[in-house]
Amino acid sequence: MAEYSIWVLEYAAVEKFPLSVMLYGPQHQGTRKLPYAYVLLKGHGETILIDTGYDHVNYGKTLAESYGVSNYHGPAEVLAECGVRPEDVTAVLITHAHFDHMGSIDQFPKAKFYVQKRELEKWAWALSLGGEYRFLVGGADPGDIMKAAEAAREGRMVLIDGDQEDVLPGIDVHLAADTHTYGSMYVSVRNDGARQSSDTWIFAGDLIYTYDNLTGLDPDAPQIIPIGLAVGSQTNLIFSSAAMLKEVGGETRRVIPIHENRLPTTFPSRLTSANLQVVEIALASGGDSRVA
Amino acid sequence: MRYMAASGDVQTHFRDVLTQLAGFALLLTTRRAMPSVCPGPLDSAAGRAAEALEMLHALRPPSEAAHHFHHLAAAGDALGRSVGVAYGCLTAASDDGERDEFMRALRAATDHLRTTARLLPGFELVDLRQACCAAHAPPALSCTAASGQSVFNGE
Repeated sequence: MAEYSIWVLEYAAVEKFPLSVMLYGPQHQGTRKLPYAYVLLKGHGETILIDTGYDHVNYGKTLAESYGVSNYHGPAEVLAECGVRPEDVTAVLITHAHFDHMGSIDQFPKAKFYVQKRELEKWAWALSLGGEYRFLVGGADPGDIMKAAEAAREGRMVLIDGDQEDVLPGIDVHLAADTHTYGSMYVSVRNDGARQSSDTWIFAGDLIYTYDNLTGLDPDAPQIIPIGLAVGSQTNLIFSSAAMLKEVGGETRRVIPIHENRLPTTFPSRLTSANLQVVEIALASGGDSRVA
Repeated sequence: MRYMAASGDVQTHFRDVLTQLAGFALLLTTRRAMPSVCPGPLDSAAGRAAEALEMLHALRPPSEAAHHFHHLAAAGDALGRSVGVAYGCLTAASDDGERDEFMRALRAATDHLRTTARLLPGFELVDLRQACCAAHAPPALSCTAASGQSVFNGE
């Protein structure tokens, strides 16, 4: 019996994204749509997000004109598709500190934010190194770091040190150190509540962009292929992918890459009037479908 | 165009300073024991801020850039204050009032720099050129400037 209803909510997209960034190696292999999305969970009296989306007020125009990001819609409109308001959100699990995952902290005034201590402290360290090391902080916005500091000042920033079980009921987080970023984490939802769960879903952040990272492109010779960007190492990315797969008994579809364009055909889904996908990963016992 | 290039350099310097100070703010608000925060990055930020303020004072903004210059100067002022207060936060005697003042000054600097970035696209706070989830294209700035239109939004 499922305890959480879970949706992946698209809020913007890059229509033509190079495959070589999603899947390291094959150059000149064309493009795919790269949805921008966050995850909404409802259950146990909590309304939880995994990641926040980016700050459209400050970057929307630039992202649209120079970086191919289109069809942005804010959290009020996106969450309303599931009957949720931003002020209803009680907790946000931040997988990593990139602008499109941690850029809208200020949109959720009542939420507590959970992030790996290593992620923030290593960002702070990298930020302190100076301009010539700016590659190490590419994609991180000092304004977002400020928002994180302000949330911490208000007592709404919870720093997690490594793996932790039951951060929220039935939800575990796992540190994937020195992978895509210094302190990326992935989120396990044991949706039957059991310690040895047979209904686990994993939300991978940017540790993978597509299911193909877990399987490779050749069905006759499956392999784990890392994404294109690792501030840490691709070895670590490969082993974190293996750990995620192990946790779901090798059932690839249970490791959810939020940037995967095939989620709407893998799970029940619907297209909103704003041309955004609502993907229903699970429905809590007695919960209302938002895609029917 | 000369102002645009020169003010862009100032903006970039200010962004680097803000970046370093934001990292410091994060350590300040998430760690209980401040002695573990070394002053090295602060010294670096202070040096870069001083350099940027000199560059700022050398700017000669044309009339259409007055609004941009106003916010750039205000950002410089707030960053200067931030650096000064940040050193105070390093001492064992620092209190919540000093930390609040530091955060307020840094917030003001952030907001002014956001405004300058909106007025003069191409100098955003986040360096999207290295962002992994964006489809990179040639910067729009050069196209806009080459068209002969005003490069200042909202002017």
